[in-house]
Amino acid sequence: MLHDAYDLSFFEFDDEKDPKEYGVLLCDVVHGRPPMKPTYIGIGWYWYYHAIRKAADDLRLPTTFGWDSRFVQGYPYITAIRTTPDEAKMREPVFREKIRPFLENFDGVWDPLKAELIAIYNEAKASRGLKEWKDIRKLSDGELLTFFLDFVYVINRKEAETHFIMLMASFYIVGLLQEMWRSLFGGEPSIDPNFHKLMSGFENQDMKMGRMMWELGRKAVELGLEDTFRNTEDNALIDKLNTTEAGKTWNSLYHEFLLEHGWRSDRAHSYDSPVWLEKPSIGLSRIKLLMHAPLFKFDVERIRVIKDREEAEKEVLARVPEVQRPAFGLLVKAAQKSGYWSEDHGYFCDCYVGAMGRWIIQEFGRRFAQAGSIDDAEDVYFLHPNEIRKAAIPLGRVNLRPYVERRKKVWEENMKIEPIPFFGDISQAQDIVRSDPTLLVSTQVPVVRKELKADLYGAACAPGSFQGTARVIMSVDKISELKPGEILVAPGTSTAWMVVFGIIKGLVTDGGGALSHPVIMAREFGIPCVSGTVEATQKIRTGDKIWVDGNRGVVFIMDK
Amino acid sequence: MKVLEEDDMSDKWIYWLEELGKEDNERVGRKCANLGEITKAGLPVPKGFCLSVSAYGMFMKLTGAAGEIARLLEIHKPAVDDVEGIRTLSRAMRQAVESKPLPPEMADTLLSYYSQLCDRVCTPDVAVSTRSAGAVSHPGQYETYLNVKGKDDLIGKVRKVWASTFNERSLAFCINKGLTLGNEPIGVAVLTMVQARSAGIAFSADPNTGDTSKIIVEANWGLGESVVSGELMPDRWVIDKETLEIRERTLGRKDKATVCLDCGIEDAEISPEKACSFCLSDEELQEIAKLANRLEAHFGLPQDIEWAVAEDKLFPNIVLLQTRAVVIAKQAPVDQVLDLMVGMLSFR
Repeated sequence: MLHDAYDLSFFEFDDEKDPKEYGVLLCDVVHGRPPMKPTYIGIGWYWYYHAIRKAADDLRLPTTFGWDSRFVQGYPYITAIRTTPDEAKMREPVFREKIRPFLENFDGVWDPLKAELIAIYNEAKASRGLKEWKDIRKLSDGELLTFFLDFVYVINRKEAETHFIMLMASFYIVGLLQEMWRSLFGGEPSIDPNFHKLMSGFENQDMKMGRMMWELGRKAVELGLEDTFRNTEDNALIDKLNTTEAGKTWNSLYHEFLLEHGWRSDRAHSYDSPVWLEKPSIGLSRIKLLMHAPLFKFDVERIRVIKDREEAEKEVLARVPEVQRPAFGLLVKAAQKSGYWSEDHGYFCDCYVGAMGRWIIQEFGRRFAQAGSIDDAEDVYFLHPNEIRKAAIPLGRVNLRPYVERRKKVWEENMKIEPIPFFGDISQAQDIVRSDPTLLVSTQVPVVRKELKADLYGAACAPGSFQGTARVIMSVDKISELKPGEILVAPGTSTAWMVVFGIIKGLVTDGGGALSHPVIMAREFGIPCVSGTVEATQKIRTGDKIWVDGNRGVVFIMDK
Repeated sequence: MKVLEEDDMSDKWIYWLEELGKEDNERVGRKCANLGEITKAGLPVPKGFCLSVSAYGMFMKLTGAAGEIARLLEIHKPAVDDVEGIRTLSRAMRQAVESKPLPPEMADTLLSYYSQLCDRVCTPDVAVSTRSAGAVSHPGQYETYLNVKGKDDLIGKVRKVWASTFNERSLAFCINKGLTLGNEPIGVAVLTMVQARSAGIAFSADPNTGDTSKIIVEANWGLGESVVSGELMPDRWVIDKETLEIRERTLGRKDKATVCLDCGIEDAEISPEKACSFCLSDEELQEIAKLANRLEAHFGLPQDIEWAVAEDKLFPNIVLLQTRAVVIAKQAPVDQVLDLMVGMLSFR
């Protein structure tokens, strides 16, 4: 039977053929929760699954043609399209040549691609005379449609293709380092503090963002605005600040910051969550969290983290047999760049393009609702790109409700269910993950070590050990509940959670591989971190006294 | 005779394997020294003895071959690319060595060791192999003779091994490197022949990548010569060094095998059934892998090993014929990484 995916062809699931053909399809809860709406699937997700295949083809990845994706009850299921052994052999020589530049000069590949992306974003705005968030309203319906089509078919596609050629290469490099680590030293790199030390001490774009926000916070203190910040709700703060000269000064500084760096939301590509530039109060709650620290925590930790890294490099290299040392050294360097890239790309790829998509689609939502094509501006996220095009000019002639209503009802039902974890033969998961190290690095199975008698087992992602009070936070809009010095327990963190790293003393997450956001950030901030525990947010309650042992990758709940 | 007493005969020039160890490299050549070392360590090695490097010098001096070689070198000075000149010189030099009878004192000693060897294995005129052993390893440069039987054959083949230091390959090598010709005396290992059902090589590290996590085994039916010569595609296995799990198996293209005649060897066609089946069982492979691990642990370096499965013995019937440190190909680090990356995907 063919299961419908909000009428989106390509993503329907065939429950007989698909498991047979692919072996197994695994639910991607990292990206897929809460269940995605049609615009996310039809635009952002669509290009990602194109770009994953294109990257696999461009690099001639020997064992995989990329991933495939299906939807069941609104949840994405992913799998690798495996090559045959003969195909793998044919692809191998080209693969060697294609992946070589990433090993020899990673930045030499990434820097021009990054510059090209930034130029595309800037050109898209400048050529239309757009600067401020509200400027989008100035466009005629026809201009807005052209922008939408450029966004969908040119800008988003370019972003996705850049994103995935880099991601595939990075993950192959880190995957190989992990594999080599296992064979040289015998242990799992994910629970080896030296592995994590080796990957730390690089300043990425998120870190730069964090420092700028901390500086904005310090500026507010300097201008005597601390009390205003403390005593005013986030939503009312901008207006309140505008009543004083000092407040106005700060507001204009913050606005400048947002014009450049505020192209981000809490869930990129879903288009239904607000962007910082659009809703400045999102950033305010985070600046509040950082403003009391006299020093930016990363800068304090940085010197130590770099020193630790250099020592770890020496120590590890000395343990590598001499014949393999130069190769190992080269691989470590490329893997360090890959880790750094992994954080950088969130800013330059997902965040920016996702925010731009929201800018345009949200405006269509507003216009469609006003013209009577839909009941509510938020209904636009249930449409396909072609339906938006169909109704854009002349505006108001097409009734979009029949498309929306049906899908919205299904989506609301999907919100209530727990997704089935996989379809097909789960014993094949290992093979599939092996055929594509990209999947291998992005999934991590906890290394259970019964002898430690811990409550949770995960990966020792950032060294150090801390005992304190847990705060369980399930979504990023709740992070202002955090008190300085607490241990954050979360499903995972994305770049939107960045500010928490300035105030927490420990971190435990359900998901997360070696290149995942929380792992990289915790390492840089010197915060003990255990990730990939699968069930931390279920086992730990806010207020629990817990012990995060980042050296061994385990968590103890102390007052059960 | 005077010369003999002063110089050489005071020194012992022939040794049982178990009298040797790796510290005897200069004395008997690396192959003999390593075989002695592992014999003492209790690893399975055929019984045998070794002629030292000084035996070679002694022979050359006593028989006047050394003088003849020197004279030939004065007349012929072939250039690097003078293939014909090198061939003519080589033929003349080898003739000069092989035509000299072994001095009686040396013959007596050699034959007495041979008789003792026959007694030790309870086989008259036991078949042996005579293998060259330089102090510096030159794999495949000098000659080895297999299935050598009886006193006359032995003496003849020992002289042929010595003479092989003047074969075309070594002459070309020396001229190319600007080295003095005939300046590398060698030892000779005399080992009882293994009636090999299958034989081959094993590496306890990948010689291309330096990857130390796997053991690579290549083998064919019959004697190991067909594998060592590299003329056909042998069966190939990759074994996990730690778990001894067989990770990969590739059937070779084995249309021939090296087999023993009454005396000497030949390359013979093998049956299609044999050509299409693996020449080792998993049990045997794991035994070879275990031996490779023991050798690596003993020497503290990855080893390049020759071994054979003895047809006339019961399992574990693996016998070691040679071991030396693996020479890892000098590859650019990035190429090593690329090899490893392709290896990680394990589709080969």
